[in-house]
Amino acid sequence: MLEARDLMVFYENMLALNNISIKCDDNQIVGVFGANSAGKSTLMYSLSGIMLDIRKKEDMSGGERITLTGEVLFQNQNIMDLKPSLRAKAGIILCPERRRLFKESSVLENLRIGGYLATKAQAKYTLDYVMNMFPALQKLKNRLGGFLSGGEQQMVAIGRALMAQPKVLLLDEPLLGLSPLMQATLIKATKVIQEETKISIIIAEQYARPVFPIVDYAYILENGAAVMEGTGGELMDNPDVKSAYFGVS
Amino acid sequence: MEILVYGTINSVSLALMGLGFAMVYGISRVPNFAHGALYVICGFVTWTLFHKIGLPYVIAIILSLGVNGALGMLMYRFVLIRVRGMNISEIIASYAIGLAILEGLRFGGFRGMTYTLPVFMEGSIMIGPVPVDFHRLIMMVIGILLVAVLWVFTHHTRIGLALQGMAQDERAALMLGIDSDLMAMLAMGFGAVLAGVAATLILPLGNIVVESGYHVLIMSIAVCIVGGLGSWMGAFFAAFIIGYAQILTVVFIGSHFQMVVAILAIILTLILKPSGLFGQQKELEERV
Repeated sequence: MLEARDLMVFYENMLALNNISIKCDDNQIVGVFGANSAGKSTLMYSLSGIMLDIRKKEDMSGGERITLTGEVLFQNQNIMDLKPSLRAKAGIILCPERRRLFKESSVLENLRIGGYLATKAQAKYTLDYVMNMFPALQKLKNRLGGFLSGGEQQMVAIGRALMAQPKVLLLDEPLLGLSPLMQATLIKATKVIQEETKISIIIAEQYARPVFPIVDYAYILENGAAVMEGTGGELMDNPDVKSAYFGVS
Repeated sequence: MEILVYGTINSVSLALMGLGFAMVYGISRVPNFAHGALYVICGFVTWTLFHKIGLPYVIAIILSLGVNGALGMLMYRFVLIRVRGMNISEIIASYAIGLAILEGLRFGGFRGMTYTLPVFMEGSIMIGPVPVDFHRLIMMVIGILLVAVLWVFTHHTRIGLALQGMAQDERAALMLGIDSDLMAMLAMGFGAVLAGVAATLILPLGNIVVESGYHVLIMSIAVCIVGGLGSWMGAFFAAFIIGYAQILTVVFIGSHFQMVVAILAIILTLILKPSGLFGQQKELEERV
């Protein structure tokens, strides 16, 4: 469904992504794991097209020169040059790192802004769905986005992304800064959402341990390159992964 | 009583001038220095349609608002889109367009005191001991209605919500499929229409002169800086502060100090609270 082939991204001469090829099929949860600066966010930005916007802005302000090569395929079409708003329309929705909620809008407004691409009926249905999925949001409906806790913000962010009717949902570090309990809740919700809506989900995380059990397939990034890949089970049994991500040897 | 009535009227007219500027800046982060020119050109377009072509007043107004909106959008589509994100270039480009329009009008013969528009309704009414003409009352009512409509629009319609999202975090909006260039263009269009609305409401009270373009620009910048750049609610409140301050100055000091108040308000705001009353530019505050 969504695939990157030989993707390379340079910031000036710094190689941020080195020949990455990853693939997410229909109805799958794919994990992308790696430490800080491994290239997870760059990969997510490249898949969702935000990288084109970043490149444009950098170009205009005379900042860093960003170069992208390779292919991004969505439903077997090369979308490398497609604008981010059109990619979103096609169904690739990014739920960004640090959530980036609209801080001065209420929870409900955040969700409704997310429903920009949805029809009225879709928006209504998805809004109900999100509220059932995260009952905690019901009471916070009129609270401003900036006054929510991290976990609540992440729920709104995921809900907002769902409102945009994704076919592929990209979650960038959804567990960042959350308590283990909240992490478990969100991971469970992610699994349920995938099973119920049949969308594909790509989830990028540093903390691999809570995410591993729900992924169908996973990639491990190091310094911008995919060093290992396999199904969740395969990787969990791999001794290198064990020592690096689970702290056992 | 006089101060209260005319202060309110003056405040509303300032708010009308500033709203368009505030909205464009809030959404697209482009300071539209052609705002005053859009204001003036709307007056002249209405004048031409009404006096030269002979259309009914209402239709002339609606048409010229449409022209203004189109003008704003074209301005964004063909010029400002190339410089968006480069602060100095945005100002230079939009100010250049404004200058071209204003001085072009002057060059084209639109000067002197002969250009006037009729008021919406003749006659006046006494509010206590103060006579107020109907047109000023209508202006006030429409101004306040406009703020209410804008509030409903930005909170309850799909496009309005998208504009709000983009104003707060452009990139996050982009991730949700909100096309930032399209929205910025729409914002420019709305801003231009708002400038036009201000013009059709305020201009019948005097002559249409090219110079008022510069005056409107300065007033709207003053209102937006005091209210906090990017917040159109802030601009609305700031308009009331400056509006009353101006009337107080006129009554107690002298009418030729009116303009000083606006400039003084800019300077004081920038010294005391650079982010303005409701501003979002908090970085600025930290830097100071």
